Amino acid sequence: MIKNYIITALRNLYRNKIYSSINILGLSIGLACSMLIILYVKDELSFDRFHENVDRVYRIVSDEVDVEGNVTNKNSHTGALQGPLFAEHVPEIQTYVRIQSQHMDIRIDNEIKSEELFKVDKDFFKIFSFPMISGNPETCLTQPFSIVLSQDMAIKIFGTTDVLGRSVMLKDGQDFQPYQVTGVAKNTPINSTVRFNILIPQQLDESELSNRMNWFNFFQNTFVLLAKNADLTKVEEKMDAFYKSDSKEARDRMAKEYGMTEAMENYKLQQLTDIHLNTELPAQNGLTSASNPMYSYLLSGIALFILLIACINFINLTVARSVKRSREIGIRKVIGGERRQLIIQFLSESFVLCGFAFLLAILLLKLSLPVFNNLGNKALSFSYLLDLKLILGYLLLFVITGFLAGFYPAIVLSGYNPVETLYSRFNIGGKNYLQKSLVVFQFILASFMIMATLVIYSQFNLLTEMELGYNDQNLVEVSKYPFERSELETFTEQLKKDQSIIDISGKNGGSWFTAAKVNGETILQFSIETVDENFIPMMEIPVIQGRNFSRDFPSDSSNSVLVNETFAKEAGWKDPIGETVNFWYNDNEKYQVIGVVKDYHFQSLTNKIRPQLFTMNMRNEMGKVFIKINPEKTTNALEHIESTFKTLYPNDPYNYVFTEEQNLRSYEQESKWKQIMLFGALLTIFVSCIGLFGLTVLAAEKRTKEIGIRKVLGASVNTVVATLTKDFLKLVILALIVAIPITWLTAGKWLDNYPYRIEINWQLFVIAGILILLIAVTTISFQAVKAAVSNPVKSLRTE
Amino acid sequence: MIKIKDLEKYYRTEEVQTVALNKLSFEVKEGEFVAVMGPSGCGKSTLLNIIGLLDDPDGGSFEFNGIEVSGYKERQRANLRKHNIGFVFQSFNLIDELTVFENVELPLIYTGVKPAERKRRVEEVLEKMQIMHRRNHFPQQLSGGQQQRVAVARAVVNDPKLILADEPTGNLDSSNGNEVMQLLTELNEQGTTIVMVTHSEHDAKYSHRVIRMLDGHKVTESLLV
Ligand SMILES: Nc1ncnc2c1ncn2[C@@H]1O[C@H](COP(=O)(O)OP(=O)(O)OP(=O)(O)O)[C@@H](O)[C@H]1O
Ligand SMILES: [Mg+2]
Repeated sequence: MIKNYIITALRNLYRNKIYSSINILGLSIGLACSMLIILYVKDELSFDRFHENVDRVYRIVSDEVDVEGNVTNKNSHTGALQGPLFAEHVPEIQTYVRIQSQHMDIRIDNEIKSEELFKVDKDFFKIFSFPMISGNPETCLTQPFSIVLSQDMAIKIFGTTDVLGRSVMLKDGQDFQPYQVTGVAKNTPINSTVRFNILIPQQLDESELSNRMNWFNFFQNTFVLLAKNADLTKVEEKMDAFYKSDSKEARDRMAKEYGMTEAMENYKLQQLTDIHLNTELPAQNGLTSASNPMYSYLLSGIALFILLIACINFINLTVARSVKRSREIGIRKVIGGERRQLIIQFLSESFVLCGFAFLLAILLLKLSLPVFNNLGNKALSFSYLLDLKLILGYLLLFVITGFLAGFYPAIVLSGYNPVETLYSRFNIGGKNYLQKSLVVFQFILASFMIMATLVIYSQFNLLTEMELGYNDQNLVEVSKYPFERSELETFTEQLKKDQSIIDISGKNGGSWFTAAKVNGETILQFSIETVDENFIPMMEIPVIQGRNFSRDFPSDSSNSVLVNETFAKEAGWKDPIGETVNFWYNDNEKYQVIGVVKDYHFQSLTNKIRPQLFTMNMRNEMGKVFIKINPEKTTNALEHIESTFKTLYPNDPYNYVFTEEQNLRSYEQESKWKQIMLFGALLTIFVSCIGLFGLTVLAAEKRTKEIGIRKVLGASVNTVVATLTKDFLKLVILALIVAIPITWLTAGKWLDNYPYRIEINWQLFVIAGILILLIAVTTISFQAVKAAVSNPVKSLRTE
Repeated sequence: MIKIKDLEKYYRTEEVQTVALNKLSFEVKEGEFVAVMGPSGCGKSTLLNIIGLLDDPDGGSFEFNGIEVSGYKERQRANLRKHNIGFVFQSFNLIDELTVFENVELPLIYTGVKPAERKRRVEEVLEKMQIMHRRNHFPQQLSGGQQQRVAVARAVVNDPKLILADEPTGNLDSSNGNEVMQLLTELNEQGTTIVMVTHSEHDAKYSHRVIRMLDGHKVTESLLV
């Protein structure tokens, strides 16, 4: 019986090549997408689970609360004290490890590279289960000047992993020091929040520990290992109680000396496995969060869309084709086939088809994995598939798809009345509301995807092309920390010897935010930029009031500042020149405003322009230089900069970036969204269109006779094409109309995240609409034209 | 074998009601070969469908083998049908995706016959219909006469007691038509009851009795033998 079903199914597939290939292709795309998502979800869920003690590993975090007890901020990091002190005073905390991420210079074959490393406490390997290739996990981090390398790092430095006892030159402070290799660990898995290449021990500094002001200094992650069966709330209560008594004195001092209002931290524990997908308390300060949960939702959504559209294709095509098959159904019933048997037959056909789609999907999955990894910021591998649960998941997906696609047609088809089908009186569902609504639904999804993609593209263009308020072209940034003023002077002098260098300016490294008092009491938060007198003119930032720094005024290098417009506005100054800014906690230093610059986007456009203050204060350190180069001599300039730097500072790592490229890099997330949406939109519209194509083929077939008669009666090709096209186009237009408000709302919500955003206007919808209609019309008329130009006599004879 | 009394059938389509069968009564005995004739639209096919348990009547009674079946459910009808009745149609109605062999095999599959037994019976009946050499061909590869012989083979493979034929020669030329009529006669001689609808006086001569219908009821009945 089953054999007969399968034979019929296979022959049916073979005979209806268009129908079969549309369904197989569509379903396989949908299945491949869903498989990717299952892989992805598995990966997400397996994050950090490989640690043996994973249930007992927590990160110390805290809520900052104001006087009224409202949570004002959530801190995912901690300082020097939390780990050691909590471990000492809370019995359930068995041990702790602090992880401080830092860049250090390392010498490899006379090359100096800046590498990220973790300074960790000795129980690192007790808390985390990272297998080692060599070395003793219990003792490898106990001695100062020990170093543990990852497999990759050992190979990078020594060319081999057999390096126990050898030494690595690390720059700690001013000089390079030898660190002895005490262990080599296997590379950390990709699905790990803690990923390291180099570990060195973090020392317990007595003076640091005894200074209780360090309770307020947060810069690293601290993990603890709880005792088995420890009661989490009790542990948190004990931590809190200890903190409140232990820090009392320090908090009083803070309040007195710095005028800080009475605020508190409430200490909490965050499960290690919670970090990966948590956006409030994310992986940061050296911890890696390999993905943004938003991507997961987005990708899953798109995959489901596509699978759904493919299933709709299947249902629509099967039902539409049933006109042709109705006779077969009638015959089967006449010669004894029961409804139940027919349902099984149609389901098995659906399953055979799904089977093919499934095989193709596996192939597609293999091909698309690299692209997906890139889009989802993942490193999934095909070998992940060899997992029992995953295979079961895929089989389940297969069965669900088979049923989803096959069940409705099976019920409808098996219900036909044999008498009607056999006497050609049969006219299936005249109006066909179901088919129509499914098509509309498909095109709502497809239109939504296309419109959303357009929105994202426009927003991306806005972000990357908006005027920044300064000139970021032909600017090279070179960092060195610290960059002494004298060094800066020599460097500038040497650089300027080459024609390719136009101008140079020094600035502090990184970005610094601080707070100061203006007008005696208001506290203003702002970005503080330590620059030289060249900076503002070189960047072409307009000074709109007062003047720029100048060497002619000696006080400029100590007590003069420039502020941006936002600063002046937030300070409430009508005439900013001459006003003072009081850095009250820095020995009550006072600064005079000598000029106001026009606001410019010193941060990426995902941030609003904030108050900004420029100083030339000699006490602040410089950390990088901006070099304006001649665009016609770029290669020359870059070579010159590199050789000058390396000659002058052989012990510092050399790195350069183009400011313009750097700026673009801040839109990586948007760029990723853009790519994902583009892919999603292409796939959804493709799968929708092949479905539409199939329906037109069937409609044209069904109406061959009508078309033949019309032509015999003198209709032109155009009118025939028009009749066929009209019906389907109406549906696409309806879908468009529904999709517009949906896009309007969701895209608007997404854009609200941006301080500088495009306005969604009607042009966008017009463009999207024209695009979609064009695609749809091409799809439909392709078949319609074919039907229309065919020989009318032939088509009449086939009946 | 068949006993119908005051059989009625109406079709309602958008306010127009057609009376397809109007108080029709007659009997067919086991082993008989009956021809039904009448102008187009007089209800012949409708009658055949009701006798074949494909359709239910709107009134009257229908006894099959002494059992009243007019109130049967779809399941019961299908069951009775597949064991007792074979159909032959004007337009052959073979399944295009199946070969000659598979088409003939299908009723046996639906009645749950074992594969080995199926093969034997299909081959036997194909042999008898002289179509064995075409067993692996698809319907489109056969002539009309050959197709109708396959259809007859399929109708008799289950050894039905009754064969219902709706204009079995309607799509065939006279020599092919005669061949099919010959086959039906042979089957009837071996004991199968046959009810055949036809427009052809020539074909009707093969039967024992002719029932003539007009507008859904019987007008005459004439014995030929
Ligand atoms: N499904 C239906 N819906 C509406 N009317 C129907 C239907 N089936 C049959 N009829 C009507 O019932 C009447 C009898 O039809 P039937 O097919 O039995 O005629 P027939 O005698 O077989 O004709 P022919 O010799 O042309 O095959 C006709 O008037 C026909 O129009
Ligand atoms: Mg008829």
